[in-house]
Amino acid sequence: MRTVQSSASLHDATVVLDDRVILRAVSVAVDPGLTLVRGPNGSGKTTLLRALAGLVPLARGDRRVAGDILYIGHRPMLLRGLTARENLEFFVRFRGGDTRGIDGALRAWGVGEDMDRPVERLSAGERRRAALARVETEQVPLLLLDEPFADLDDAGVSRLRQSIGRARDDGRAIVVATHAHPELDDLARTRIAVDNGAATAS
Amino acid sequence: MIDRIGLVAVRELRAERRQPDGLVAAVTFIAVLVLLESLVVGPQIARDPDVASALFWLALAFATILATMRSFDRELEDDALEGLVALPGGRDALFGGKVLSLTIVLVLVAAIGGLLSLVLLDLPVALPLHLIAVVLLGVLALPPIVVVDVVLALRLRARAALVPILALPVLVPQLVAATRGASAALSGDAVGALSWAGLLFAFAVVYTVVGLTIVPAAIE
Repeated sequence: MRTVQSSASLHDATVVLDDRVILRAVSVAVDPGLTLVRGPNGSGKTTLLRALAGLVPLARGDRRVAGDILYIGHRPMLLRGLTARENLEFFVRFRGGDTRGIDGALRAWGVGEDMDRPVERLSAGERRRAALARVETEQVPLLLLDEPFADLDDAGVSRLRQSIGRARDDGRAIVVATHAHPELDDLARTRIAVDNGAATAS
Repeated sequence: MIDRIGLVAVRELRAERRQPDGLVAAVTFIAVLVLLESLVVGPQIARDPDVASALFWLALAFATILATMRSFDRELEDDALEGLVALPGGRDALFGGKVLSLTIVLVLVAAIGGLLSLVLLDLPVALPLHLIAVVLLGVLALPPIVVVDVVLALRLRARAALVPILALPVLVPQLVAATRGASAALSGDAVGALSWAGLLFAFAVVYTVVGLTIVPAAIE
């Protein structure tokens, strides 16, 4: 296990939710570059990402993170009642960042025409695209993306691959959890297999 | 941190402006309750300052619960709440931002609901400025405790029933002070109105400190 230079790591992490052990003594380290987390449904992929993001309490073990995290879960995490642009502006301002790149990022993701419509009026795919544009608007060193391919069409998948490739080239650490999609395999530096709450890195 | 609380509050108010469900539900609730009360007990009793004040504050307490739950329901759709909590400092800014935005919404609700009560019941107000002070300070004390209770019950299916059960016993001292203060202002007791207003301010401070301490841990 590498812990000294890692962007994030879990050491001996156990997560128990509703009296059920979801992660069992997991030790993983995330370095700059793309890390793919794979495993069947219910294996603990999402909980592993949420544990790295600090969104679930650890029953045992440690979590270490160097710098800010961008976590995008199963759902787009955009507030209904706000437009796509307003949602992204909120996130960027909250981190004290520059909002000037938001319009360009939304256009690049194909949401340019609809960036000023409330997100509840967008399709699921458009909401997903708007959420993934955060990869470009929030320049944080660690990205945690849970099933980012959900709701994306072929053009969206291609755009996601391009965006992740650029983040990797910028020296950011990206963790993508997905049970099936092979589109990012050739970009990955590390793979973590999760099964029944246990994780093995290769 | 103040900037972040402001950002969360602005985000909430923008969403509420586009989808004013909480505001509309709260105002409608107060208007219907006032009308029903005057029909049930008769206009003579309904116009008694103690009765009219008690009804207004009870209605406002329930309206606060309605508006707060609507605000969090909106956050739960598409996991927007998790998006906020995952931000650095998000947990700490959540409580302050919610309380600030709900206070602004409730000041509006109280102003509209209060005016409706005065008009519908044809209530004379002996000390209007004292009444405004009591209402403003009374409103300040409502959102902190209701936000804490909604956060505690957030992932429970029965939260619609649980939140009033959790919130109302804690709010009893505040409701008593607000009712007495408003009644004093309506009937011309300036000293009484100011004393109760001072107590309401103390409740607001205590409830806010409690919320700031509990909410970040409750979110985890």
